[in-house]
Amino acid sequence: MNILLCCAAGMSTSLLVTKMEAYAKATGMKAKIWAVGASDVNNHIDNADVLLLGPQVRYMLPNMKKVGAEKGIPVDSINPVHYGMCNGQEVVKFAQNLIGS
Amino acid sequence: MSKYNSFLENKVMPIASKMAGQRHLLALRDGIILTMPLIIIGSLFLILGFIPIPGYNEFMASIFGDAWMTKLLYPVGATYDIMALIATFGIAYRLAEQYKVDPLSAGAVAVSAFLIATPYFTMFTPEGTEIAVQVGGVIPVTLMGSKGLFVGILIALFSTEIYRKIIQKNIVIKMPEGVPPSVSKSFVALIPAVIVISSVWLIRIGIENLYHLNFLGKLGFTNTTSLHDIITLLLSEPLGILSGSLIGAIIYTLLVHLLWVCGLHGSSILGGVMTPILLTATDQNRLALQAGEELPNIVTSPFFELVFMGGSGVSIVFVVMMVLFAKSEQSKQLGKIAIAPSIFNINEPVVFGAPVVMNPLLMIPFILTPVVLTVTTYIMMKSGFIPLTNGTLPPWTTPPIISGFLATGSWKGSLMQIINLVIAFAIYLPFFKMWDKQNTAMEKGTENINVTKAI
Repeated sequence: MNILLCCAAGMSTSLLVTKMEAYAKATGMKAKIWAVGASDVNNHIDNADVLLLGPQVRYMLPNMKKVGAEKGIPVDSINPVHYGMCNGQEVVKFAQNLIGS
Repeated sequence: MSKYNSFLENKVMPIASKMAGQRHLLALRDGIILTMPLIIIGSLFLILGFIPIPGYNEFMASIFGDAWMTKLLYPVGATYDIMALIATFGIAYRLAEQYKVDPLSAGAVAVSAFLIATPYFTMFTPEGTEIAVQVGGVIPVTLMGSKGLFVGILIALFSTEIYRKIIQKNIVIKMPEGVPPSVSKSFVALIPAVIVISSVWLIRIGIENLYHLNFLGKLGFTNTTSLHDIITLLLSEPLGILSGSLIGAIIYTLLVHLLWVCGLHGSSILGGVMTPILLTATDQNRLALQAGEELPNIVTSPFFELVFMGGSGVSIVFVVMMVLFAKSEQSKQLGKIAIAPSIFNINEPVVFGAPVVMNPLLMIPFILTPVVLTVTTYIMMKSGFIPLTNGTLPPWTTPPIISGFLATGSWKGSLMQIINLVIAFAIYLPFFKMWDKQNTAMEKGTENINVTKAI
């Protein structure tokens, strides 16, 4: 499972990445999780199964959904509270649900 | 609250998303970022050149010779001084990417168009004389840097627009099958490039003729001989005055933070408009520093580093309170998560975790504090207690107190940040106490429920 996260510069989402990786590892899940800046998404989206946006850039959601639709992958923005508390577990589950649906 | 939320979702979000998604602003923001790593590297050398220790100059001169400064600043000339050139390429590249036309060719054509708009001469005052003479056969360095930034931006957008329109209308030279794709690709760019370059060429010829006919002089533009002069007069100077004032700085601070309390990345959304303006102001200070003149601008890009400490909202003081004084478990836990990123000016955990977003209580200090600090910093600089930012651009992740020193080249910059932190602390404290109390009450409430359930 490849989860791509994006925010303005890819910095604050990278905080969440470490927590998500920890959760994935603890549950024995094989996942590649990484964060990039919004302008870099085009160079990474081909390797992703799902794209998650930080809530602070959720105004980009309509554009990113279009990009996701072209590649056939789900795109959504992360729950603000899970984002703020760096809740890796919930965000991984959220990503799984998106891919599953 | 729900009324407020729906106002936000229905009114603010569409505007923010329109602005952030606007092609040209997006290309501008993403393209100009290409200059940032270079400028930060240039800053490194600039800092070494102006270390505020008495006797430093003499010390360096005794080791490396009298020309040590000139030699040390070679990289500054190849970073700061070519920002317009790099930005032109970057913006054209990013815009072409959005239109899905070949970005490399579009970037190259834009750079060429930018140079067509630039007269190849510079003014030089020979030693021992007072009269400047025109020296030909040079690309003027001053116009490749911040002074040419606005021309570069406009030309990048203009040239890429023409470029993609012609390609999209399919007016291109087509190669017969069997010609290698990369060869035919180079021909695709040919017709649009000719049209772009001819248009800018005609504009330049037009301006020069108008100047010679003294037409521009009659309109009050006496010294405008090139597109650069006209854009400086009509765009860069008025924008600079607007943004360089205290009112301009307060409005910018307010807008950034109003967007943030809606949960939107304020500085990123406004970046397309503000980055070129603030970057120009920053570089004007850098040029003055190198020339040994008085620094002209208070409001620059690093000015806001002295203000937005620990990220927007000066939320670092709030996080420090969580770590030191929090009674509620939730506050303590958030403090643990947020403190390390906050030191490096990343505060999304606070903004979304506390949360500040849509929180009528925390919104107040989050918006008020940076506005107050903008005023205090401006006044302290205006009155000369604190030196102005000297054009050094520390990376935005530089921790507070260090960033103040780097931005001003003086310990007084750090002092200003400490003063600002104390003020911020005072503003946040009552709000922190109320917030922590709310959290504690909520935790007790849930504990009681758990207890009753257990029974």
